[in-house]
Amino acid sequence: MKNCGLVRTFLSLSAFFVASVAVNAANDRPTDFKPHAIQVLTIQTDEISVPEEFQVALYENLIHQLEKRGFQHVYRDGDRSASGASNLVVLHCTVRRFKAGNEMARQVITVAGATSISIHCQFTNEAGQSLLEQDVTGNVRFFGGNLRATYDFAKKASKIAYKNFLATSGSNRQYKTN
Amino acid sequence: MITKGKRFLGIVPLLVAIAANPEIHAQQSSESAKAVQIIGLPGVKENAKGTLTVENGNLHFVRNGGVSDISAASIQAVVAGIDSQKAVGKTVGAMSMAAPYGGGRFLSLFRKKIDTLTVEYRDADGALHGVIFTMPSGKAESVKKDLLVAGAHTKATADQSTTREPTTRSSCTEVKQ
Repeated sequence: MKNCGLVRTFLSLSAFFVASVAVNAANDRPTDFKPHAIQVLTIQTDEISVPEEFQVALYENLIHQLEKRGFQHVYRDGDRSASGASNLVVLHCTVRRFKAGNEMARQVITVAGATSISIHCQFTNEAGQSLLEQDVTGNVRFFGGNLRATYDFAKKASKIAYKNFLATSGSNRQYKTN
Repeated sequence: MITKGKRFLGIVPLLVAIAANPEIHAQQSSESAKAVQIIGLPGVKENAKGTLTVENGNLHFVRNGGVSDISAASIQAVVAGIDSQKAVGKTVGAMSMAAPYGGGRFLSLFRKKIDTLTVEYRDADGALHGVIFTMPSGKAESVKKDLLVAGAHTKATADQSTTREPTTRSSCTEVKQ
């Protein structure tokens, strides 16, 4: 009988805990905005000169990573079909800092030659209202070619998009780790 | 018989001269170039190897699994550049990092020059795509010229060389609209 009381107490406590977690999760959702689609605009390099292959690699890697994160639609810059999409998030990226680095120096000296790129990411809705702004950096410090910095950036930026728009909306839980 | 032999001897220096002339080689190889698609072609894996040609107003990338075409008219930017990569790469290069007395680092000093070809184009829906190819040194410029002749556009990137590493420079300066 004493054990039954303990079990009852444990079950009630655990039920209360689960319920409170669920309520908190519901409260964490910032708005009713549930995006299913994201559009990536061309990478802007206003004042900083960035090689063409870096710009293209940033753009393509970002699209690949966003697709992997589970967005239903990832639209490219200028895609006419994006105009009909509901709850569309538009991602604007502007390069703030770029250091080309040197792959040979990285491999020979290890502590030198890092490639680094810092990009200001702004997520807006279709009307252009800002939803989130954040600086994201991509680096290659040890292994890999210089373009690997674009992959690093894309992974981080897509993770931010996932956390702030997909994970909170609960519309899509098929998170893929890589 | 003697006249035939003289004619043959006269042709030999000409053949040797043709074989030794790198420009003639470049013209012949500009028709097709072995290339590696780094990223961007829809349905093609990263670092896919194949052959790049410009035919009938299209950029063809032929690989083991199939063919990818990009219409030259849809290309809004094509930029050729120069880069370098490890002469000993992939698995052997990775394994060499464990070699004693800095053997792997020593191997990293040996690098080979490569060309990069960056292509930006729009598909039927107007969506922007970007593709990066690498190919042996000296090939990208000829492919780019072929694309420009076929109707592709390019953009001036003269200021890019200021931000690149010493081994890398942009070789695209002209503008064609």
